[in-house]
Amino acid sequence: MKYYSFGEPSGRFIGYSQGFKVYATTIARQYTDMRQPEKKAVPQGEFYFGYGPSTGGMIESVGVDLLTPGELITEAYVNPSYKQRNVTIRGRTIGDASLIVERINAFHCAAHSIAFASAVEDALGFDLPDGIAHTRIIALELERIRSNLLVIERMCQPAGFGVPANQLAILREEATRIVSRATGHRYFFSSISPGCSMMNLSGVGNAVRKISSTFSRIYDDLLESKVFMSRLINNGKVSIDSLIGPAARASGQARDARIDSATLPYSRFGFTPVLHETSDAFARFQVRSEEILQSAGIVSDALNGASNTGKMEKLEGDGEGAARVESPQGDLFYYVKVENSIVRDIVMVSPSSSNIAAFTQSMKGNIFTDFHFNWESFGIWISEAGVVLQ
Amino acid sequence: MYQYIAVIIFGIAALLSVISRKAGYITVVAGSVILIVAGFRPSDYQSYFILISSIVWILISIYSLEYDRKYGRWLSSLFSLTVMGMAMILVSQTYLIFIAGWEVMSIASYAIIGLNSRDHTPPYVFMVFSEISTILIIAGSVFAIFQQGGFSFSFLPVGNDTPLLLISLGCITKMGITPFMISEWLPIAHGNAPANASAMLSATMTLMGVFMIFRLISLSPQSIAIGIFFLAIGSISVLFASIYAYIAENMKMLGGFSTIENNGSILSALGLLLIVQQDVFRIFIILTIIIFSFAHSLGKTGLFLTVGSTKGEYFSQVSAGSGRWVSAGSIISFASLSGLFPTLGGLATWMLLESFFMEAYLGGFLGIIAIVVGSVIAMGEGMAAGAMIKMSSFTQLYPKTRTSRSGGLAIFLVGSLIILLFLASPIVFPAVLKGSVSGTLVFYGFTIESRFGPADFGLISPLYITVVIGAFALLAYAIFGKPRERAVPAWNGGRQDLTVYTSYSYSSNIRLMLRRILRTHVTSGSQPVSVVDIFWNTMIAVARSYRNMARRITLGVMNSSIGWYMVYMIVTFMVVLLISAYVA
Amino acid sequence: MSNLWFLNGIRKGIVTEKFPKTPPEDPPAWPSMLSGAGDARCPVDAIDGNGWNMDKCIFCRRCTPAYSPTGNQDIFTVESEAPIFHRSLYIYPLDSGSCGGCNVELMNIFAPHYDANRLGLFITNSPRHADAILVMGVFTEGMEDPLRLAYEAMPDPKIVIALGSCAISGGIIGDPALDISKYNVRIAGCPPSPYTIIKALIAAKGV
Repeated sequence: MKYYSFGEPSGRFIGYSQGFKVYATTIARQYTDMRQPEKKAVPQGEFYFGYGPSTGGMIESVGVDLLTPGELITEAYVNPSYKQRNVTIRGRTIGDASLIVERINAFHCAAHSIAFASAVEDALGFDLPDGIAHTRIIALELERIRSNLLVIERMCQPAGFGVPANQLAILREEATRIVSRATGHRYFFSSISPGCSMMNLSGVGNAVRKISSTFSRIYDDLLESKVFMSRLINNGKVSIDSLIGPAARASGQARDARIDSATLPYSRFGFTPVLHETSDAFARFQVRSEEILQSAGIVSDALNGASNTGKMEKLEGDGEGAARVESPQGDLFYYVKVENSIVRDIVMVSPSSSNIAAFTQSMKGNIFTDFHFNWESFGIWISEAGVVLQ
Repeated sequence: MYQYIAVIIFGIAALLSVISRKAGYITVVAGSVILIVAGFRPSDYQSYFILISSIVWILISIYSLEYDRKYGRWLSSLFSLTVMGMAMILVSQTYLIFIAGWEVMSIASYAIIGLNSRDHTPPYVFMVFSEISTILIIAGSVFAIFQQGGFSFSFLPVGNDTPLLLISLGCITKMGITPFMISEWLPIAHGNAPANASAMLSATMTLMGVFMIFRLISLSPQSIAIGIFFLAIGSISVLFASIYAYIAENMKMLGGFSTIENNGSILSALGLLLIVQQDVFRIFIILTIIIFSFAHSLGKTGLFLTVGSTKGEYFSQVSAGSGRWVSAGSIISFASLSGLFPTLGGLATWMLLESFFMEAYLGGFLGIIAIVVGSVIAMGEGMAAGAMIKMSSFTQLYPKTRTSRSGGLAIFLVGSLIILLFLASPIVFPAVLKGSVSGTLVFYGFTIESRFGPADFGLISPLYITVVIGAFALLAYAIFGKPRERAVPAWNGGRQDLTVYTSYSYSSNIRLMLRRILRTHVTSGSQPVSVVDIFWNTMIAVARSYRNMARRITLGVMNSSIGWYMVYMIVTFMVVLLISAYVA
Repeated sequence: MSNLWFLNGIRKGIVTEKFPKTPPEDPPAWPSMLSGAGDARCPVDAIDGNGWNMDKCIFCRRCTPAYSPTGNQDIFTVESEAPIFHRSLYIYPLDSGSCGGCNVELMNIFAPHYDANRLGLFITNSPRHADAILVMGVFTEGMEDPLRLAYEAMPDPKIVIALGSCAISGGIIGDPALDISKYNVRIAGCPPSPYTIIKALIAAKGV
């Protein structure tokens, strides 16, 4: 393990799985109870408003229970386990495992595949050529652009803000088509795996620049809309210690795997994270928006020197490996143990689990109409939070 | 003179009740019928209050036949005695009998609340406000007697509006409205009485205040200052009482606040009557006051009787009376109190707002006040509709208990009367306006119009509503036949259990939106959204000092059992009545 | 641009494709109809002696070069049409256990490039208003009851649509959300592209 070691906590806290507590550079073996927390008893006159698991307002199936005396929300519980998939990876070949990892969350396939591939490469002591590392950075940043576009689009929808929502949907479809032309698949499936990445990068630079300049104008116009801003400002303030990703950066904390993880060479592009201070939905909206523009810049820079290996390297050997990348939601961590090209153990720590905790915290004191704006501002994906890898 | 027979019959009912409750209530029904026959004259505006009160007493008595078993032996007797006091007020020709009736009514109703309250505070608060109102009324009467030089009600000389002001203040206090502040004594006191007594207190006792102010206005010279004063406190009361009704958790409290809200509306109409000059317009306003009083009294009776037939007084524990007819009666009462068509309350609310719009056209400078007051009342009516929706959903949608037969009959009768009077309003009410003034409220086929020079307003008439609803229902049935239903189970996001909304949560939006006015406190404790009762805290402080004083007097003067005290009171008031009748 | 959103919208013009009247403008290579013959490596047994089975395929490219994508987006099967919905079809999407890919692609058919509303396809937020339930993802214990309740809450007549290989066959992740015989329409792909979804839903309406 080049990037990680087992031992005492050191550096910032990333997240946990049932057996691991993951920090910036170390993994502590510690048991954590992953069951849903006990719900608070219902005080006189209040009730639990049950939302979901199956509802039109959410992209995925998720059960939310809001304790309320009416209008005001005093406690929130998010249960991602309704659609919990128990997926068997142990005992599979690296190649098959890679196919499953892609399908943990299709919308963030690049992040998952790259984190998994890096962990496997770490385990087998494979040194990634620079060109492929650049290609992976491009894949990650393209995915970030698309993911952040969706977050902002979904934040416009509950405000009934149809024109920007649709214009953002156009940009998002264009981003998806860039991915489709570059990889043959709209969601990077089967284009990134340990030791390789297959992307045809011709035309990507221009297309991303177009998205970036159009988005920049939409963003400026959105900032002018006082009605929209007032739905976001002071909505879902949260500044707990365990924040990661855009939620952390929206509360002024420079937490980003792109600066403190050695997996990918972001430092070459002079990367510094986008920071905002107010720690509410508005700050998360700003961070997400400005990161679209920033990512477009990184893509342009990384295009110089990016290359592909047309086909998959044959990876063989034994070992343990861990890697962390910055998915659009925050730190995404993978640990693998490989024996003879077979995956013997796998642990994933998803940013969505961490964001669910932050969201739960931030809903206290909000009112019902704040719900969707705040939920979308975290960009939570239940498919990566409610999956058990075994 | 025949009217006094009714008063005596109510007195007899009080005595009979000691022996048999049912006999007592039946006697009250008989007395009420006699009172209507002897006292009601369609051309006499004031006698409409006799009609309204008597109808309500009859309905409540029918309801009470099977209701009051759990409330001790005195309830029936005290009920009859309160009715007697009110009858004395209604038939009084002199200030003396009026005051005597007022006291009989106040003390008997105090005893009802005192005997049935678990907490000692509400009855004392009620007593304090009764005494304040009595003092003001006596003071006003003394002024009037000296100014006109006699005991009987007669026209007061020009420029003397002191009696009107003092007696009105006394009546307003009784109606639950104190100047520039809503007093919560009424909801709390009325909320602490048995439902039949609550109905009587809310529907008819406050009506006595309206009746006396109305009577004094007709005897007094016009007074714009007092009129504006009424408009101000009336409209403020409407708005605040409806907000408090909306957030009330106890159903009887909700009813009490709704009473204040209605009384505020009527008081505003009385204020308008004081400032309006045109005779025709004045008659329109008088008609508004009568119809509004009718709607209020009937609707409030329906509301309290409904509450009486539920188990539990709080929304959270409510289990309403069953049966289609009972539900119909209840829902019609609530609709009427919300000011919806096709009910009498709808007509009353329209006429009230219409009066203010017309004054806005006709009143010049005062028109501005009318616009403001009209808007405030309209806002309050909207909030009241919310309170009534809360009332109907939480009483009608939840598991039902059985309602007694006489109880169900009374509630159904209330609902039927509200609808019938609305439908019959073209026939019944213009009868008041015989002769030269028939042009005020024109029932013109499908519309009701109010015609005053430049300001013609109108409304669709009861006939129109009946025809349209009936015809369209039949037409739809004829064309489409019996509606096809695609019934599917309820859907709650894929969960088996259904979310149950609490009444407390229902009104928390207002608690949060109006947090400045209601002084809502948001905490993270067990009741995170709570409202500070600044009014109630003041009331309790006043009542507490009165209680200390009263306790000292009671211990000093008499310390026998409450039962003998009751007998003593009944006998005393019979004597007062006989002396008063003799003087009259 | 200005912040007069109405003008912004007009200035942007129409981006909606003429599809399905004209061929897709930008179809993805994967997933699409595969052409090829014989046996090939397949992690989900979509290829055997009888050739290629689109219902099982997760389009992972293992079978290349024996099989290759044609770009043809018509990878769906309609077992029974429901012509009663030929004017409009209201769909209730139900995520049984998906990776989010099908969810996003379904959302995308209502985005400006595709605008499925113009074709009489609509999403409804309650199964009580739905003509069709569209199931995504593999079987999960937690969503078994919601899926059944949603189906029961739909008024008759109603159809069941499977979106994506997980719902149809379980793909590489697990077991199918429902038995394959319960589906009236099966939309293959991992995830199916918006073109495929639109074509399949129109075919289900039975125009």
